[in-house]
Amino acid sequence: MKILWENILITMIAFVILYWLLNKFAFSKLFAVMEQRRELVLGQLNEAKQTREQATVYVEEQKDALKQARQDAFEIIEQSKQSSSKQAHDLLEQAKLDALRMKNEAVRDIESERNKAVEALRTEIGTFSVNIASKLIEREVENNPAEQEKLVNQYLDEVGKKS
Amino acid sequence: MHESPVIILGGFHLDLSAILMLLVSMLIVFVVCRLAVANLSVENPSKMQNFMEWVVEFVQGIVGSSMSSKKGKPFISLGLTLILFIFVSNLLGLPLGVITEAHQQETIFGQVIEATRGLAGGEHAEILWWKSPTADVSVTAGLALVVFVLMNYLGLKNNRKHYLKHFVEPFAVFLPLNIIENLSKPIALALRLYANIFAGEVLISVILKLGFIGIPFMGIWQAFSIFVGGLQAYIFTILTMVYISQYAIHEEEAH
Repeated sequence: MKILWENILITMIAFVILYWLLNKFAFSKLFAVMEQRRELVLGQLNEAKQTREQATVYVEEQKDALKQARQDAFEIIEQSKQSSSKQAHDLLEQAKLDALRMKNEAVRDIESERNKAVEALRTEIGTFSVNIASKLIEREVENNPAEQEKLVNQYLDEVGKKS
Repeated sequence: MHESPVIILGGFHLDLSAILMLLVSMLIVFVVCRLAVANLSVENPSKMQNFMEWVVEFVQGIVGSSMSSKKGKPFISLGLTLILFIFVSNLLGLPLGVITEAHQQETIFGQVIEATRGLAGGEHAEILWWKSPTADVSVTAGLALVVFVLMNYLGLKNNRKHYLKHFVEPFAVFLPLNIIENLSKPIALALRLYANIFAGEVLISVILKLGFIGIPFMGIWQAFSIFVGGLQAYIFTILTMVYISQYAIHEEEAH
């Protein structure tokens, strides 16, 4: 084992030169690119994270919106059901009322017609009776003046009572 | 024992094999890194880029285990350079070694190779040209010295009070011990790396002498050497980070 100080010196110089060369022509570029790559990866990771968060929020919103829409639809159906049943009920009520009213009117009409008829009949019967009576009375009175006198008085009496 | 092809040039001992292997390691590391960052893309990374990012994240893990990642940021390139350079260096000697045998005085670039100086008939020297650069203790010492200088410089610059105080803790008497501790760190770094890789290469050359019987052993040992190479690169890097964080970074809860 021989130690040559020249070798030591040459090695040191060679090493320093190599270090300088590598630093200048290789490592500086490599480090810069590695740093860029690191930032790129970091940025992409961040972006992915943000996108995921956004997606979560979006899904949550969509869920809420869906729920809201379902609620609305339910309400609308419920409302329409209610209103339709109410309408039907109203219609029925109206119909009933109309029918009742028409029936009442009809009953009243019938009543008044009957009354009218009865009245007419009565009048006619009265007239006939008077006619018959007057014919009978004419015959009686012509035959019996005393009876005539008595009948007139009786009629006058009745008329006075009635009025 | 294999000799190194050392020549004397202008008073300096130049180990041509170490220089060659250092250059090869540097070239491989640099080319791999350049290829990895050739088509950088933020959105659609290539396989090479993914591999390189994996390495960077691995080193970030190493740095992060010894200091807070904010304070450790400037040391990530250091750790990357260390681990790549040492790992490639450790592996270089595994697939092959180039050894020349010289029987007389050989010259290269007009200079005499020291190991062959004065070789006469009958004598010969085996000169090892291609090996792991980290199988040379001088090279690992150079790397460890870089770490040593760096950790003490950073300690003095960023954390002077605690750095200096650390030498006289728990009592002033411990000053020599603490200095030895400080000095032992690069020595331990250098010797650990050198010994592991050198031993691996020695064992490879021993197994080679077994001939064909040695093929399964060679396979096992090569695989294990790849593992050791990676492990030693990892250990060197993590110890560097631990030392730097010990000296240079004062964590509030540490004291």
